Amino acid sequence: MAPRSGWLKAPWRRDDRRSSDPYWDFFINTPPADRANSVLDVIRNAPEGNVFPTRADLHSPEVTAGHVKEMARYLGADLVGITALDHDDAGHAFAIVCAVRADDDPREAAGIGGQVPVQNGLFVMFVLSAWIRELGYRASTAPELDGARLAVSAELGTLDRAGKLVTPEYGTRVHVADVIRTDLPLTAA
Amino acid sequence: MAVTPGTETPAPPYLGRSVRIVGPVANVDMNQTPHPKNSRGELGKALFNWYRNTISRDPLTRVSAPNHFADSRNFLASVVNQAPKGKINSRQVPVSDPAAMTRHIKAVAHHMGADVVTVARAHPSFLYAASTPPSGARDVYQNRAGDVYQGRTPDQMVERYPYIIVATTAWDYDKLQAHRHYIGDTAYHVSQMKAQLILKALEGYIKELGYAALRGMSNPQAAGLASGVGELGRNGLLIHRKFGARVHMPDPIMTDLPLVPDQPVDNGVEDFCKICRKCAINCPTNSVPFGDKVVFNGVEKYKINWLTCYKVRPYMDAHWGSCLTCATVCPFTKPNVWWRSLTVWALSTCPIPARPLLVRALKAIDDRFWGTTRQTRVRWLGYDSGIKPGEQACTVAGCTAEHGTAHAAEPMGNIGYYAPLKENTNRFVKRDP
Repeated sequence: MAPRSGWLKAPWRRDDRRSSDPYWDFFINTPPADRANSVLDVIRNAPEGNVFPTRADLHSPEVTAGHVKEMARYLGADLVGITALDHDDAGHAFAIVCAVRADDDPREAAGIGGQVPVQNGLFVMFVLSAWIRELGYRASTAPELDGARLAVSAELGTLDRAGKLVTPEYGTRVHVADVIRTDLPLTAA
Repeated sequence: MAVTPGTETPAPPYLGRSVRIVGPVANVDMNQTPHPKNSRGELGKALFNWYRNTISRDPLTRVSAPNHFADSRNFLASVVNQAPKGKINSRQVPVSDPAAMTRHIKAVAHHMGADVVTVARAHPSFLYAASTPPSGARDVYQNRAGDVYQGRTPDQMVERYPYIIVATTAWDYDKLQAHRHYIGDTAYHVSQMKAQLILKALEGYIKELGYAALRGMSNPQAAGLASGVGELGRNGLLIHRKFGARVHMPDPIMTDLPLVPDQPVDNGVEDFCKICRKCAINCPTNSVPFGDKVVFNGVEKYKINWLTCYKVRPYMDAHWGSCLTCATVCPFTKPNVWWRSLTVWALSTCPIPARPLLVRALKAIDDRFWGTTRQTRVRWLGYDSGIKPGEQACTVAGCTAEHGTAHAAEPMGNIGYYAPLKENTNRFVKRDP
């Protein structure tokens, strides 16, 4: 445990918010009494927008894949991968998998704070899929696909025994956002 | 200022050195601000059609800008802002130490991704006028609020909800260098969307704590000045200590959560703007004043000509959406690094009488290294600000796609390309003496 007396602390260390904050546990762990106070359902249940009728003039698939990853990182994803889908009913060729750093596991921390990684993941996936639709290609978020398994095939990390994604960058402290299925010409990497 | 009989007029708020309250302040009517005016068609057909009836040719703008989309369902902020509001939790979390709660709210907003969080003590003059338009709800830009305010005066509102939380994001410095270009637009609009999501989530969290969280109540700049987000510059923008003019001022949250308000700051903006005029020189429409402050609505400040600023937009629609020139050229808009912190620290600790000398030196350094006009070529996601607007070229290394003859343009050297906007507008927009 870190020493509590002020003079022993390294001066460049930031004030440890969590241990000294009496409300932090409420923020992370207490589920909202009214679901409407959380933005998650609003984004999840939002209807999907139209695909723009004119297709944008694309670069070669490797370049486009790089641009998709750059865009995802710009929107706040910490890890991005693209993997080919073998069997897809609608003919989507690729899945885009994003993971965001999660200090608290969103599956256990039900509070608005514990769900912040989910919120960040939804932000990335909503804007990214909307952008691909505006480029003139189909893209939809697919919560039914197993994100962790696809993240492994996109080479973001490996699975541990409990089926959680383990990444070299953040260990198990990542949240895999909903996967995007798309027919945008990309390359798996 | 609205005064209820029997109550005393509250003392004018202290807003730092850059803005002074010198007379009675009438509450701003949200419906008389530029965007609502334009959405009612009061600024003419060209602006109305540009604002309401055009679809951008750029896919990124169609998902991030508050208008010009092809399908509003692809625009996140419209989804977030139209969401139903949650109820206030009946089991209120007791707050014994407002200072601890203030630290908590700031940590929460930072955890959600906000770059700047401050708390202002609310003042009646910050609030929008409680006029009732025919729809029954006050039309607040991209946000509708029309419940608790009705039938109450600003003074009563401030007594009931004494604090305003200003949480906001800064837009990306490197992409801002390609302002007057789709790259700069994206930097601006994506961070704006992010700020709106953060504020919506923060509003929900305050309600979960068991306190009221009201949106669409307060003028964000006034609350930002009072809580020390920054000082008001010549360009009419709040200038932040770390981010300069590249901070958004979205609709803040008014609340009765017990907090400790922040104070106005002095970063030397007041002294810098007296001398600098870089934004006024670069403004393509001459909307930023070269002269001194004026008194408008009882407030002494630099007053930009918002109408000429607004009117240039439809003409540039095919090439970019947001001008952002005054924010980009501002010497305070720099990457958030040590030499920038050192400079602002030196300026803000310098005794006020000695500041003009230091400002002249800093201005000379700024002109020497960054130029009087920013000319930087930015390449991002296949966009290239070195290509003349309206022309197309593929400058991505390693791209083997067939783009056809439409993409034959060549970049104009290693600088950002600017349409000769200033020279054109100088012919018909009068510059201040």
